[in-house]
Amino acid sequence: MGQTVIRAATDVGGTFTDLVCFEIDSETGQSHVRTAKSSTTPPDYEQGVLDVLSRGDVDLAAVGFLAHGTTVVINALTERKGVKVGLIATEGFRDTLEIARGNRPDFFNLHYVKPKPFVPRYLRRELPGRISYLGQETARLDLDPLPGILDDFRADGVEAVAICFLHSYANSSHEEAAEAEVRRLWPEIPVVSSHSIAREWREYERTNTTVLSAYVQPAAERYLHRLRDGLSARGFRGQPYVMQSNCGIDSLESAARVPITMIESGPSSGIWAAAELGRLIGDTNVIALDIGGTTAKCALIENGNVRIVTDYWIERDRKSAGYPVMVPVVDLVEIGNGGGSIAWVDEFGKLHVGPHSAGAVPGPASYGKGGTDATTTDANLWLGRINKDYFCGGETEADMGAAGKAIAEVGAKLGVGADEAARGIVRIANNNMVNALKLVSLNRGFDPREFTMVAFGGGGGMHSVALAQELGVSKLVIPADASVFSAWGMIMSDLRRDYISTHLMELSEAAAADIENALAATEKTAKAQFGAEGVSPERLAFQRFGKFRYQNQEHTTEIELEGGPVVPAGIDAIRERFQAAYEREYTYRLNAPVEMVGIHVTATAEVGRVQMKRREATRSDGAAAVKGVRAVDYALDGVHEATIYEGPRLAPGMEFSGPAIIEDPGSTVVVHPGNAVRIDGYGNIIIEIRN
Amino acid sequence: MNRDSDDPITLTVIQAGLSAAADEMFSMLRKTAMSPIIYEVLDVGTGITDGQGNLVGSGAGIPTFVGVLDKAVQRIIALHEGSVIAEGDMFITNDPNFGGVTHLNDIVIAMPVFAAGKRIAWTACIAHWSDIGGMTPGSMSTKASELAQEGLRLPAVHLFRAGRPVNSLFDVICANSRLPDFARGDLWSQIAACRRAAERVRQLADSYGPGTFGRAVSALFSAGEARSLKGLGELTPGRWEISVEQDSGDLWSAAITVTPQSFEVDLRNNPEQKASPYNTSRDGAVISAQMIFKALTDPQRFANAGSFRPLRVETRPGSVFHAEEPAPHGYYFETRIRLFDMLWRCLADAFPQRLPAGHFGSICGTVIAGRHPDSGRAYTMVEPQMGGWGATAARAGLDAMYSTSHGETYNCPVEICEARYGIDVGWKRLSDRPRGKALHPGGRGLSTCYRPRHAAILAAGFSCGKHPVWGTAGGAEGGHNSLTVIRLNGDREIHNFVSDCPVGPGDEIVIETANGGGWGPAGRETGQIAT
Repeated sequence: MGQTVIRAATDVGGTFTDLVCFEIDSETGQSHVRTAKSSTTPPDYEQGVLDVLSRGDVDLAAVGFLAHGTTVVINALTERKGVKVGLIATEGFRDTLEIARGNRPDFFNLHYVKPKPFVPRYLRRELPGRISYLGQETARLDLDPLPGILDDFRADGVEAVAICFLHSYANSSHEEAAEAEVRRLWPEIPVVSSHSIAREWREYERTNTTVLSAYVQPAAERYLHRLRDGLSARGFRGQPYVMQSNCGIDSLESAARVPITMIESGPSSGIWAAAELGRLIGDTNVIALDIGGTTAKCALIENGNVRIVTDYWIERDRKSAGYPVMVPVVDLVEIGNGGGSIAWVDEFGKLHVGPHSAGAVPGPASYGKGGTDATTTDANLWLGRINKDYFCGGETEADMGAAGKAIAEVGAKLGVGADEAARGIVRIANNNMVNALKLVSLNRGFDPREFTMVAFGGGGGMHSVALAQELGVSKLVIPADASVFSAWGMIMSDLRRDYISTHLMELSEAAAADIENALAATEKTAKAQFGAEGVSPERLAFQRFGKFRYQNQEHTTEIELEGGPVVPAGIDAIRERFQAAYEREYTYRLNAPVEMVGIHVTATAEVGRVQMKRREATRSDGAAAVKGVRAVDYALDGVHEATIYEGPRLAPGMEFSGPAIIEDPGSTVVVHPGNAVRIDGYGNIIIEIRN
Repeated sequence: MNRDSDDPITLTVIQAGLSAAADEMFSMLRKTAMSPIIYEVLDVGTGITDGQGNLVGSGAGIPTFVGVLDKAVQRIIALHEGSVIAEGDMFITNDPNFGGVTHLNDIVIAMPVFAAGKRIAWTACIAHWSDIGGMTPGSMSTKASELAQEGLRLPAVHLFRAGRPVNSLFDVICANSRLPDFARGDLWSQIAACRRAAERVRQLADSYGPGTFGRAVSALFSAGEARSLKGLGELTPGRWEISVEQDSGDLWSAAITVTPQSFEVDLRNNPEQKASPYNTSRDGAVISAQMIFKALTDPQRFANAGSFRPLRVETRPGSVFHAEEPAPHGYYFETRIRLFDMLWRCLADAFPQRLPAGHFGSICGTVIAGRHPDSGRAYTMVEPQMGGWGATAARAGLDAMYSTSHGETYNCPVEICEARYGIDVGWKRLSDRPRGKALHPGGRGLSTCYRPRHAAILAAGFSCGKHPVWGTAGGAEGGHNSLTVIRLNGDREIHNFVSDCPVGPGDEIVIETANGGGWGPAGRETGQIAT
């Protein structure tokens, strides 16, 4: 036995705060996982975190690494529970936030409702001063009106100030000066300037991001600081880390300064877990699929890399333009399709599943908590895919009567019986997810047949075989401990920051030096920032990317700039890589000049990730884990007598084939006829799909 | 896999696949196009039709382009059915007399899709190119008196034959544009989008069989028709007439008859076509009727050939709404939005609870062409303007939105405008013009100031310059759209329709769009400044 390393991850969700604690023997690599759950405690969220740590009996003094994820930011935004923000904009442009982009996705509808800005007009003020797109000052910044503006803000009860000036991505001096003056005149007020969050052009997106960050900042900062203090009072000696939306973690102090970057931290840890798992088992091209209670999320991981983008939106759908958030977020597609998604028949007799969810209360009809809507979970139960005698790990008795009634009602509207309606629900849910998976693969020029699918979340195992079959994926992996997979991703994350900025220049030999300078300057900034937080430059690893397009286009394609500094002799190779990537996605290339629009540098530092050890695999047929046989309806693949395996009793080296069902307390894996199953040395379920 | 070929779930899966294909075509166009009016204004439509050109579904974009592509495809079929339409063919048209529907700037590409040797579908897209030749940069001259002056005419001809490009045609097209690089880039963008969608449609037909595929399409048509009939059934039947004087002094009129099964729009009693670019093809007039019909009966994005089965539109050949050779069409979109506005007004009077008051009622298209002061590269800025929308029975109107002819249209960020065109933007703010009295006030228009840094040529078309935006149920009128050029020496020129107007450093182009119309008589003052 070696030393025990304790790594813990806590996650604040809407209802529960979860703890996952990994105790790892540093010698054998054997890990023991402990989990605990307690109620989320708004508005003092830190209390729930401290509660769950004591409930899990975690000795904080012995914890070597603590990561923290939270939905507090996204919830504050969607529930409109932030503070009153005052905005200071360039003279002539205070209405940018309200004008927005003018688009109307619901385009036949004359009763469209435009999203309301987070700062009303009377709290949007202006200062004279202009910077050109080249970063040159064309009109001096006049701070004289500022005291009067701040007086008005005080009188109106403003609790945070956002500053966004035109072209600050190119030259932030005016924003810096205004921010310094606000701090001097009103030291207590939180101030956020756009350049400290986003260095890209598009003033509406940048302004809105700055405003949303200011809107959530006081509460997020207060909670993170109380969490820090509470942890250290309980003996934690390390630095707590906070999960970000870019598949990395950041220091608590940095997260408290710009909390908006936590906006998609939940999905990002799951996707990172899939990337890490892929690396562990030697599959670096992965389609990650996370099927939860209300949504399904998917992302493509190419060569071990996740794609990070800055065009994230909240509340955007076919009916609403939503609100942009210009921060680095893992590029994922999310659809309203999970276990709790409600099946419904429209007035024209067509079956739909989602996006509305039965949620935790009342939940699916089969929960017996008064839900009357049929959900995907009810359909899976009805078809025997979920074990009615082992519902929710045996903790809840499945209300088959309620489920049957709800499904029969759907069937009646379709003119079919309950069985067929249940099959229909599963097929429509699957089809919704197939279309989402195509968006991240086929539509970007990637053939899913060349990828391994990693499926997780409560519904990952339930649907993924059918999805993989439809897409031609031949290898599907269900991680060993699917219920704590996202938390595992959090503790496997590196300290990571993505620096994305606009630099418009032609891609030519003459521009090589400028490109290299922009990259080097960004790396220097990163070293300085990390250095100030005690992370030495030697620990940092950089990845460089450029955003390219054909001259006159708008959309860019991001290309990694590998192989050392950008030099004139390397420009042709960069151009060729761009052209090849462009052609893969869009099927053609042009004989036209190429330009660079911006750069993207990622800086990462390992914070001592865990080395997972492979266990001895003894070949066996899995009979030791069999708990029975039952009839399972595989929808399009028919009804079959399936062998039922008990998940916790599966051991490395076991091999068997479908039709089968693997039951865990938290999830069910549906193995179709003809699939070959193998348990690998880490306990992962590997399913080979013979198409 | 045993696929139950005709069960409703399979049909739904195919239908979702068709919708995804149209959306993907849209997304690909947006990401690859060269002209800002395509990737930003999204003056773009994508669609899939059945083998005969009946609209199956459309991608995102703008409502006025939803009903364009089926008409184009039907015309291509009519023109080429006698010869052969083969796998790998691709057609191009922009001529309203050859299925082009709109104006010469809008290029339609259409590709037949075959499965098991049978033509089962078409994929098609339309996009506004920044320049297709003609009298003036941007191709939309207010002085054009015949179509030939508006640029290159592409009369529904082969762009590809059996998978091979007709290279000479590519060369002709590029040689005729003032922006040949843009033309080539946009052309390939459209070709790739059509091909990608065709591939998806073919996969669907191959997976499920052409028979099941065809039944999924028929079921969509039936669903579209059922939705429209349901909406029609909720309206009080009747006949309404309207006459509206336009800024030009012309008197337009329409009669609309609603029954539980039909919606008839009679546009026969209207002026002769003009020797100026304010005409629309009959197809264009039908689109205006389709839009108000959709807004009233089933305002969902779901639209196909079945949706429009109850609609009948009567036009008179040779009239402004059914223009024939050699009429020019450059500003057809103003004619079409004015027609839509008249039909809307007619029905808002009839159904004031169902329809909002009038909006700023114009595309307010603004074109500035020149050379970038820093890079020296030629550019053509083609931008519609945003304006105020009308109030409804329940609330005030929306501030600063694009017109009802638009949809997923995005304004050009000021930061990008200044970088891309070298035109400074002095301000861009909600209009300070008073909104008038009403129970619910109209939304605010927009005030924008452009300052060219280099010599350039301006063209613009602003309706509602003389006749104001209308209110409903006693609500106040909403004001006018205006474009003013303020010269360096202080001279002011006010324009409604203008082209070839030189502007340069020191000049200001100030655009004020109208507030929306009010709803209901003023019982109290509701026009607060704070929102």
